[in-house]
Amino acid sequence: MLGDKALKDVPKNVIHPNEELIKTHCSYCGMQCGMNLRVNTKTNKIIGVEPRYEWPVTEGKMCPKGVTAYQQTNHKDRLLKPLIRDDASKKGTKEGFREASWEEALDLIVKNFKSLQGEYGEDTVSVFSGVSMTNEKCYLTGKFARVALKTKYIDYNGRFCMASAAGGSLRSLGVDRGSSLPWTDLHQTDCLFIAGSNTAECHPTSMYRVWEVQNRGGYLIVVDPRETPIARRADLHLDLRPGTDLALANCMVHLLIKNGHIDEEFINQHTNGFEETKELVELFTPEYTSEITGVSPEKLIRAAEIYGKAPNAIVMFARGVEQQSKGVDNVSSYINMALVTGKIGRPKAGVATFTGQGNGQGGREHGQKSDLLPGYRKITNPQHVKEVCEVWGITPEEMPGPGVSAYELFELMDKKEIRGMYLLCSNPAVSAPNLNFVRNAMKNLDFMVCSDFYLSESAEFADVVLPTTTWSEDEGTVTNLEGRIIKINQAQKPIGESKTDWEIQIEIAKRYGKGKYFEHLKTAKDIADEFRLATKGGNADYSGATWEKIEEQNGVFWPCNEENVNGTPHMFLDKKFYHPDGKAKICALPYRPPAEEPDEIYPLRLTTGRVVYHYLSGNQTRRIPFLKDMCPEPYVEIHPELAVKYQIEHDELIRLYTRRGEATYKVKITEAIRKDTVFVPYHFGHKESINLLTNAALDPMSRMPEFKVCAAQIEKL
Amino acid sequence: MKKVLYIELENCIGCRSCLAACTQCGGHEERNRNYVIDVNPFVDRQTMPMMCLHCENPPCARSCPVQAIQVHETGAVLSAMTEKCLGCQNCTIACPYGIPKFDVEQNLMYKCDLCIDRTKDGIPPMCASVCPTDTLQWVTEEELAVKKSQFRLSNGMMASMEDPYLENKTNVHVSLPGILEGKEKLF
Repeated sequence: MLGDKALKDVPKNVIHPNEELIKTHCSYCGMQCGMNLRVNTKTNKIIGVEPRYEWPVTEGKMCPKGVTAYQQTNHKDRLLKPLIRDDASKKGTKEGFREASWEEALDLIVKNFKSLQGEYGEDTVSVFSGVSMTNEKCYLTGKFARVALKTKYIDYNGRFCMASAAGGSLRSLGVDRGSSLPWTDLHQTDCLFIAGSNTAECHPTSMYRVWEVQNRGGYLIVVDPRETPIARRADLHLDLRPGTDLALANCMVHLLIKNGHIDEEFINQHTNGFEETKELVELFTPEYTSEITGVSPEKLIRAAEIYGKAPNAIVMFARGVEQQSKGVDNVSSYINMALVTGKIGRPKAGVATFTGQGNGQGGREHGQKSDLLPGYRKITNPQHVKEVCEVWGITPEEMPGPGVSAYELFELMDKKEIRGMYLLCSNPAVSAPNLNFVRNAMKNLDFMVCSDFYLSESAEFADVVLPTTTWSEDEGTVTNLEGRIIKINQAQKPIGESKTDWEIQIEIAKRYGKGKYFEHLKTAKDIADEFRLATKGGNADYSGATWEKIEEQNGVFWPCNEENVNGTPHMFLDKKFYHPDGKAKICALPYRPPAEEPDEIYPLRLTTGRVVYHYLSGNQTRRIPFLKDMCPEPYVEIHPELAVKYQIEHDELIRLYTRRGEATYKVKITEAIRKDTVFVPYHFGHKESINLLTNAALDPMSRMPEFKVCAAQIEKL
Repeated sequence: MKKVLYIELENCIGCRSCLAACTQCGGHEERNRNYVIDVNPFVDRQTMPMMCLHCENPPCARSCPVQAIQVHETGAVLSAMTEKCLGCQNCTIACPYGIPKFDVEQNLMYKCDLCIDRTKDGIPPMCASVCPTDTLQWVTEEELAVKKSQFRLSNGMMASMEDPYLENKTNVHVSLPGILEGKEKLF
């Protein structure tokens, strides 16, 4: 069923009468599963899905979100016309909107943004973006903010998703490509060490490769506070307390050194920082680490033994370790395992993060981040600024400086330093932490624009809502969780009066008097060509990744340039890392506890995550009947012993609260969770949002909020 | 090459993608004909798909007073022919696995037909096409034979649900949980 063998025997597709199949990829997570959209050739409407068996990463497989993704396009909730709300007192509700023409809506936006900027300075208007959209759109959004709006305040929802993985990879390896190797290597390795990833629910189509490792006699080690569906079948489940990963990873390195499972030649030739790390991890004996993590010393010893002995192994991690106030340190500490053992820079061995959003990888590389420009260039590096200015046709003096991270944008809104926001491709009214604060900051904005294809919870705070297109009504590239640039194809013309985000931005730019920087971009392909040029010479170099090459090769792995004409599926094969001296950095990272530890008033640990039926804030998936039926509402997972202590029963409603907020949830009793921890899925809006309770303690490097652990208490109602 | 549906229960993660995909098959009127059970939801996350096993001598067809349930030449036990089905529900009672369901409004039984408009041409059924975990696989007889020889439980019991069959001889083959018990590790 796997890899090359399957590709020799690819099943045919069924094509019904009056239908055609459009090859594309899913709209949701970083797996970017291949799919064919079924289009009725008489109505030119998308009507269904057919597996895309020849796509090498997923071979036709799809999760329930993928199977039903097509239902988004012609959904009854689609916004078909711009909406304007004249009565600002109705902000924060669905009320008060009226339909308007594009002319009126765009003119109003430009009038209000310009008036705010005239009074309070250019930076008073901010852009809050997302990465569930193509590279072309992500690239243009960065240019739009800096060239048209001339604001430094642009950031994006990847701060709530991939920022810590990016920070950790940059520090350890000098480059941030989520996976050092293609996904088609996964099932061929001998040991998967997976930390903080509920892979079965968040990246389900990875699972057949994960199980194949075990079917071949290899090992699966899972680090997670919950016995998730992947942990259930793992050879070893390290059921740690939320927020203690750094101690666990340090213990792994301690044991790898102690057991002689390190590769001294690799360490000497290709890394820095080993000696100080060795000294630091000495403290992290299995007994000491067990006290911090709650994982038994025997399990810790066994895990290090398996990883150490494995001829090939892959260390993988996800939001569980990354969404912490020490997320970057967690990532670097897990990468340490691969660096001390030399299990990186060859096929079947390496490190990988499970990218959350569809274009979480590409979207963070090309200038939507407050401090980055296309090609992973730094806005604080004058040479980098100069290179991008040449492509954009502006002078370096005109380039705004670095801004602040996503959550900090809301803090500046609260301080009235930011008074306007252009929000697209994101739903922070559900997905940001500490939501009482965030929602209030949005409500008090002088003027807010939201571009979305449904009326999201965040759109309820907007003065103007612009109807944009779904992924199926535009084309462009996306970079999947492997670092493979792939092509999204248009299957249907935009419905109603909806427009793509890049068309909208060009329209606004024209009205801003900045048409000359944008008018030459008539199609997504035009943007792609300029975008590739803008990445040339950067770390994330896409210059050689033409749409034609992507089509021919089933995707192109970056870097792809004159040196690597066909792209780079495996990173570091020459054992050269991206720091100036070519060496990777083994990081000595002292343990520190989560920002908020349990105490007498808040004795429990709250952690959050996804379910298989929903994607991110649920703005899309909660509208799909099948997915809604399967998981209509949030719940709180509680261990039976904890339930007895609080005298609560399955299905009973309880009040869950933290220092920041409270919500009412139905109890779900399960033994598949630690006795000191409760879990709530985060896909729900309004009063059901668990992010009313979560902690916005930010990682000092990545500015990632600590979604994954805070102190909480339960009250029986 | 003839292929058969093979179920490896050990792999199921309960994502119910097979249900969503079932609704996509041309002849299924956007209604799923397979089911997924939470085995012991208070204890762990184990789940299992409940699929029609396409019995060689199917109780559903045998119990039908009007031969509305036909067996296709591929062995697939088809859904009731709409023009023949009386709505007597004998089949829903006769099936040992509870697969045939009854639509009260249409007064009609419906069940899995193994995506006959796909499998008649050798194309895998929708459920096995999308299954992210290889719980549902579309395999050749040779691949099936390898599975059968591999998966034996340490107590001598086969992990394969046949010979002796729990109920009938079936065209769909099942490995019960436990397939990794006797697995020799690489190191």
